Amino acid sequence: MEQTIISLKNFIPECVLIVTILVCLLADLIVRKKSAVVAVIGIAGLFVSGWFVIGQFGVKESVFFGMVVIDPYSVFFKLLFIVSTVFIILFSLASKEIKDSTHTNEHVYLMISLTLGANLMASSVNMLMMYLALETVSITSYVLAGYMKKSKRSSEAAMKYVIYGAASSGIMIYAMSLLYGYTGSMNIFEISSILSKMGGTNPMLVIVMVMILAGFGYKISSVPFHFWTPDVYEGAPIPVTGFLAVTSSAAGFAVLIRFFSVTFLKSTTMLNGSLQIIDGIRWTEIIIVLSVASMIIGNFVAVWQMSFKRLLAYSSIAQGGYIMLGLVVANQQGLTAIFVYLVAYMIMNLGAFYALIMISNKLNSDDINDMKGFAYRAPAVAVGMGIFMFALSGIPATVGFVGKFYLFSALIESNMIWLALVGMMNSVVSLFFYIKVLKYMFLSKPDEENSGKIYYGIAGYVLLFILVIPTLLLGIYFGPIVRFAEMSAVMFGLK
Amino acid sequence: MLTQFGQVLIFMIIAAGFVAVAFIAARLIGPKLPSKGKNSTYECGEDTEGDTWLKFNVRYYVIALIFIIFDVEIVFLFPWAVVFKEMGLIAFIEMAIFLIILILGFVYAYAKGDLHWDKPRPVIPALDRQIFKSEI
Amino acid sequence: MIYYTILFYVFAVLAVATAFYVVFAKNVIHSAFALFGTLFAVAGLFVLLNADFIAITQIMVYVGGILVLMIFGVMLTTKIADIDIHTKNLNRIPAILFSTGITVILIFILFTTKWNIKPQVQNQETVSQIGKLMLTTYLLPFEIASIVLLVALVGSAMYARKTK
Repeated sequence: MEQTIISLKNFIPECVLIVTILVCLLADLIVRKKSAVVAVIGIAGLFVSGWFVIGQFGVKESVFFGMVVIDPYSVFFKLLFIVSTVFIILFSLASKEIKDSTHTNEHVYLMISLTLGANLMASSVNMLMMYLALETVSITSYVLAGYMKKSKRSSEAAMKYVIYGAASSGIMIYAMSLLYGYTGSMNIFEISSILSKMGGTNPMLVIVMVMILAGFGYKISSVPFHFWTPDVYEGAPIPVTGFLAVTSSAAGFAVLIRFFSVTFLKSTTMLNGSLQIIDGIRWTEIIIVLSVASMIIGNFVAVWQMSFKRLLAYSSIAQGGYIMLGLVVANQQGLTAIFVYLVAYMIMNLGAFYALIMISNKLNSDDINDMKGFAYRAPAVAVGMGIFMFALSGIPATVGFVGKFYLFSALIESNMIWLALVGMMNSVVSLFFYIKVLKYMFLSKPDEENSGKIYYGIAGYVLLFILVIPTLLLGIYFGPIVRFAEMSAVMFGLK
Repeated sequence: MLTQFGQVLIFMIIAAGFVAVAFIAARLIGPKLPSKGKNSTYECGEDTEGDTWLKFNVRYYVIALIFIIFDVEIVFLFPWAVVFKEMGLIAFIEMAIFLIILILGFVYAYAKGDLHWDKPRPVIPALDRQIFKSEI
Repeated sequence: MIYYTILFYVFAVLAVATAFYVVFAKNVIHSAFALFGTLFAVAGLFVLLNADFIAITQIMVYVGGILVLMIFGVMLTTKIADIDIHTKNLNRIPAILFSTGITVILIFILFTTKWNIKPQVQNQETVSQIGKLMLTTYLLPFEIASIVLLVALVGSAMYARKTK
């Protein structure tokens, strides 16, 4: 009873989100047509929730009987999710695909539900809660992926997503049941202390790790659980695609990093800032394999893509591979690097997806061939897209470079030079296809029949500008995000 | 507890046994004189028409979907009802929050007209010719 | 105790055999009805584990709800008996190898791992225990479940709604 009330005090941001979902639903029923009012209510709710999240900075508390924890780690992710959801809701107001769909305002509260699930994924320390939070995110994203009911591709995307999601979460929950059967606990801290007593060399634990990775890896679309990614990204409306690429996969990282960092620990006291993993449990090696495979397959397959959405899908598979590199070193520095990279990833991906929304609103297509000479028709948007593409490939003076720089330096300091080399080589390959887009936009002349100038409303340019500024500014003046990441790289229960 | 479920099992075995005995007995002792008329499907004496499988209207599906959600909700209500007296107010508040959220879902389905059963509107044949009117 | 063992194997065989039929039946509606057997046998297994509430839930939600929904879904299609629902699978042999491999590995770890086996507890009803845990320790998952159900309801109603 008392504990429930104390827990609620630390749970205000999530409660605000739940209330926002319900208020948006009611507002949607009252308004009865497409209207910005619901989106405004949703964004207001997100801001209030974000304000309470900021107030939680520095708190280290386990709430709701060890289901979730509030720590700087989860606060970082919550802020990331809330900020990206605000942007995505703004995008959805601008998107023609959402405007043309037959639904009214459901996307607003579905997106906030996804944020709620993502927040819980970032803070849960109990396997039951992890699974439930993951399912909240999954079910919401299935619904959002098929949002354009009239479009066959969108329905196909939702269908494929459901089947992959059901299979992989089934595999994951089976592995969780095995782990529960072995340790008799669902709380990851208890599991860690039981496992450290039993010792590590056990084939069962390897199988469990691989199977659990099937569930989390599907969320972060890591190879070999990535097959849904291109099709779903292509079929879903672009704001939803951006949402899946940013929030949903960052949430996957949040839960994956916490699960693997905590569950297989010998001791919760860190030694010189690095995790002490139980001898014989080699999860970092499994992560290396997945990470290298994701980078290589993501970057090399992206080279052939002519659909911009598919290109971004493979690009996000590859980016997921880079982020996993930070997990491999299993220390504080790696976690900081991941956080820096995630901030960069959020900003540049949101930017790229917004620029794509602006382009495809006018062209009704996401084919790179149709974007020939786009720079002559709408120079501002093309330049914006160019900046985001350079940032994604990690060119210096953009935020993408800062992220990659921290990741690779964390690897080199842990003497994993060959992994850093693989990462750098992949970055060079990725440069090729990011620049390919720009080549079509800037160097080819537009076709005769559609070469007219394209104009957007002032709000469109403002939003694009808001996303361009941090991409460039944080690339030069990156002190604040690095300090923020260093402060956030603290997990509950780890000393 | 297991014995109570055992009774259910025995009940089911007996029920299955009844059906099996009836079928086997009919197979063994019934006379078999098939003819064309006997083998045809009975449809009020008419010749049968069309497929046996009917295509259901999608309306049933919507209702069934909504039913499942509330079916799951009922499952949560059972254990709550058992401990309600013991736990008192806190149990009431917790379940109230749960139900409010789900009832809003119901309100959503109702307000959007998903529970509305559109009846087919019979087309009443209208007379084009005005002959009869003018004759009267 | 021997009766329980026999019953366990009866239910287990029933579950696996009907599950095979679900996968390999040519007629979708036969698959749906075979699924009834699978779900029912699993409920029987739950009873043998002294999980009475889960067993009843299994019957109520799966047999009473989801299976009916599936049969409705099958009935929505125009043709049931004539069409071949088995799509061509190009990767039949790798799939067989892969799934056999997984099965062998799982059986191997099932027998080699030292599981954390709890001593047999006295038979008792679990509903009130579940109720208490649901309202205290597992309060958060319980409340979040309502959000999941709400999202599922909104999503399914959105999809199934007829558009003008």
